[in-house]
Amino acid sequence: MGKPGRLTPLSRLLGSTPIRLAVGLIAVFATVNILSLGFAWLQLRSNVEKQIATNLDQQIAGFRMADDPGTLAARVDTEAMAVDPETRILVFVAPGGESFGNARVQMRGREIDLEEREGGRDLGDDGYRLRSVAMAQGLLVVGESLAPIRDMEETFLGLLVLSIIPTLLISLGAGVWMALASARRVGHVEATLEQLARGNLFARVADDGRDDDLSRIGAGIDRMAEAQGAAMSALRQVSTDIAHDLKTPIQRMSVLLSDLRARLAEGSAEAGIADQAVAEADHAASVFQSLLMIAQIEGGSAKSRFVCVDLAQVAATFAEIYTPAAEDSGYHLTLEPLPGGPVPVRGDKVLLGQLIANLIENALRHTPTGSRIVLGIARDSQDVVLTVSDDGPGIPAPERANVLRRLYRLEHSRTTPGNGLGLSLVQAVADLHDARLILRDNHPGLRVEVRFPVPGAKGVGIAGSFQKDDPPPTDRRQ
Amino acid sequence: MKLLVIEDDRATADYVANGLRQEGHVVDHVVDGREALGQAMSGGYDALVVDRMLPGLDGLSLVKALRAAKVTTPVIFLTTVGGVDDRIEGLQAGGDDYLVKPFAFGELSARIQALARRPAAAIQESVLTAGNLSMDLLRRKVTRAGQEIDLLPREFALLEHLLRRKGRVQTRTMLLEAVWDISFDPQTNVVETHISRLRAKIDKPFDKELIQTVRGAGYRVDG
Repeated sequence: MGKPGRLTPLSRLLGSTPIRLAVGLIAVFATVNILSLGFAWLQLRSNVEKQIATNLDQQIAGFRMADDPGTLAARVDTEAMAVDPETRILVFVAPGGESFGNARVQMRGREIDLEEREGGRDLGDDGYRLRSVAMAQGLLVVGESLAPIRDMEETFLGLLVLSIIPTLLISLGAGVWMALASARRVGHVEATLEQLARGNLFARVADDGRDDDLSRIGAGIDRMAEAQGAAMSALRQVSTDIAHDLKTPIQRMSVLLSDLRARLAEGSAEAGIADQAVAEADHAASVFQSLLMIAQIEGGSAKSRFVCVDLAQVAATFAEIYTPAAEDSGYHLTLEPLPGGPVPVRGDKVLLGQLIANLIENALRHTPTGSRIVLGIARDSQDVVLTVSDDGPGIPAPERANVLRRLYRLEHSRTTPGNGLGLSLVQAVADLHDARLILRDNHPGLRVEVRFPVPGAKGVGIAGSFQKDDPPPTDRRQ
Repeated sequence: MKLLVIEDDRATADYVANGLRQEGHVVDHVVDGREALGQAMSGGYDALVVDRMLPGLDGLSLVKALRAAKVTTPVIFLTTVGGVDDRIEGLQAGGDDYLVKPFAFGELSARIQALARRPAAAIQESVLTAGNLSMDLLRRKVTRAGQEIDLLPREFALLEHLLRRKGRVQTRTMLLEAVWDISFDPQTNVVETHISRLRAKIDKPFDKELIQTVRGAGYRVDG
């Protein structure tokens, strides 16, 4: 599964469909262009070459008549006067080695080297096609300048550049423009899907008033989310209703049992049974209470009350509350040294306290007497991390996801008290705070980590100033 | 005390009213919220016990209406509606306390006592006493029979709370709320342990126990 959030803006852009289409089209267009121009170039060039060769042949044929070196030299000199050595070379090398014509020829082995004549005109820069024929005991050298071919090369190169570069720039620009235009919409769809995946079934793409494929995909996602949300809320409503409706008779039963208990003689067997019945009714009520509370927390309304809470202080308070009780039952509950200063997270103090209390009680309940339980608050680069670790039996890796399910209990812990909702409540509170709940192996034992996003980090704003914890209210109820 | 119980559930209403009468209170009972509004405004009650889900006018609106009409009679909500938000809503509407059903009668009784006996004006005492124990709030010192006793800060706060309410029962949840500012009930017996530590320091070395356990309700310091 892709993680769209991790991509840089550039790689996002490059990975977008319009850009990929634009780049593909540019590649096709460039290839076709280069091929057709290249073919035309080869064709024209071979024509020009043929023309040059014909010219050279005719030149040589014109001098065939003369077989006396003196005559030939004179004719060459005369004709060469009228010819610009930049376009055409005409030289006769006499048997004595002297050059006549509009350039000088040096023989270097079989290679012919052209030089300017003293006082004569310049040679061309583009090179020549030379042909030499032995004639009248000397050597006749004729040459045609390659300038027409070079000129043609430049023309074709210019054509290539002029036709490809603007196309390339225009198509790429159009691609980027389309990509940017659709990126916002695609990003919106992605963000909505991410939210839905995280369980926020209220996220919607919403109609943007257009009628294209993206809008249709968006509408499809919305319909899916709608159906999912309706199913979930129906399920939630049913369980909330059941919990509510059952709470009232349980409460009545509890009242009647208490009434009955009050009429029984202290210490009698009947009183003992009544006490047990009261305790069972209370337990049933607490299960429903927890279910309702989880439903309410999942509803998310508590988020509106979020303030900055010093998690270190909440942890210290709960360590202090539980330490004596833990010691008396033979456990070692300790608080790791806290980081200096307050450790702010955005949240609800009551629920954060409940989360810590449930984790401590969970550890007390599921480890044997004598176990160590360590509560810690730490800060790393990304998160504020609350940990509760123990050295008890731990939870086998395959079971770890299950224990977060409502009312789920490990088979061997069926006999221990507790209602199987402690960790579900922790999960609900963690979710409400956008925190991640992670169960790890503590080698030995269980290590529960709750990772809260740091306030002020991306997407988490701090509203108002840091809220100081109230001093214990001693005079609230007189 | 003169109390008004506003509750539409017959069984609960009878249980609450009878229990409170047995403790010596005068108790009136009303089922309908609208009817309750008039009676609470004119009846001269010391405290109101209000259910949230009532016919006529719901408990929350009832209390808001009373507060708007400047009726300051203490109100305790007694309700099955027990979420975190609900409790805050109840207190914001003008309730003084919030107790979720099912409840132990001792809890309700202790909380009603606490509500109705708010002092007219807070008299700032600097020394609290019970028997031969005295607590100096300014120097933060506790002595019993001339012997100084060292207390941890939270033990000091716990003892101070009990001494300020001498003779009145304080339940576990009331102590958690007042001393630790925690509004839910942990399943482990945390309060009992803190009380027993406190007892070990202030009662054990002496002949008479100052902190009394009240069965099914909580703790009380007797003078």
